[in-house]
Amino acid sequence: MTLWFLRGLSRGVVTTRYPARPDQATALLPTPPAFRPGAIGPEEADQLAALCPSRALKREGAELVFDAGACTACGRCEQASPAVRESGHFELAATSRRDLVKRIPLKPEAGR
Amino acid sequence: MNKDQDPLPPASTRDPMPSGEPAEAAIQDAAGELRHRIASQFGRSLHIRTLDTGSCAVCEQEIRLLTAPHYDLHRLGFFFTPAPRHADLLLVTGPMIRAFDVAARKTYEAMPGPKIVVATGACALGGVYQADAFVHGSVGEVLPVDVWIPGCPPSPFALLQGLLVAVGRLYEKVSSLPFEVAG
Repeated sequence: MTLWFLRGLSRGVVTTRYPARPDQATALLPTPPAFRPGAIGPEEADQLAALCPSRALKREGAELVFDAGACTACGRCEQASPAVRESGHFELAATSRRDLVKRIPLKPEAGR
Repeated sequence: MNKDQDPLPPASTRDPMPSGEPAEAAIQDAAGELRHRIASQFGRSLHIRTLDTGSCAVCEQEIRLLTAPHYDLHRLGFFFTPAPRHADLLLVTGPMIRAFDVAARKTYEAMPGPKIVVATGACALGGVYQADAFVHGSVGEVLPVDVWIPGCPPSPFALLQGLLVAVGRLYEKVSSLPFEVAG
């Protein structure tokens, strides 16, 4: 407290910018999934979409559509597929709803 | 509700849309300038009214934690107010239940302009509940939302980032995130 008081007197600034330093607790937060592009087949994509409790995943043709806004970071898709893991991003505020909808290319049919 | 009375243009015209038409570019410029002016007005002091439209209250717990010393919302110039007439920003949680229509409209109309609406949490963004006889399913169905904060619940850090995006002191990062991992 005394140190902060002296620091404020000497620098004329009593607050810190945001973020002052990376917070250790943020490593423990559940975060939305990230997907390996071209690694998930159409059938597996349908399974992942059926598994998602908040309708954040759906398949549109050869793309997996991931709605980061609808995701609750429950981790079910991460457990179900080795091509899905935690993204580590949690500060996801957006001024456009469409910016939160991500399209991940699926495994091409011919390569299966 | 009559959105035309709002001094802000509707959220759809403020979205950065890729468009070659000069009229839309002019709208984008005007909207960008308006956003800058609002940000300079709100940049140092902003009062928040929270609106619970049927959330499970975990979003509210995280919002309440913003005032804790660890996050210290007030150092950034944000304050909570119980009166919508004193509020600049409406922080909306929950899937917007239909029973709340009148209260939501009255709260929004009671706020002085310019005003910002922030949808908070996966319910408010349309993720958890589908539109049915009881809920609209998304805050965007009823109010003109300016900033969307994902998360279930969004951590206080995510809320802080969303508030700073709302006043233009932080830029959004998520539009450039692909949500793809290598290997």
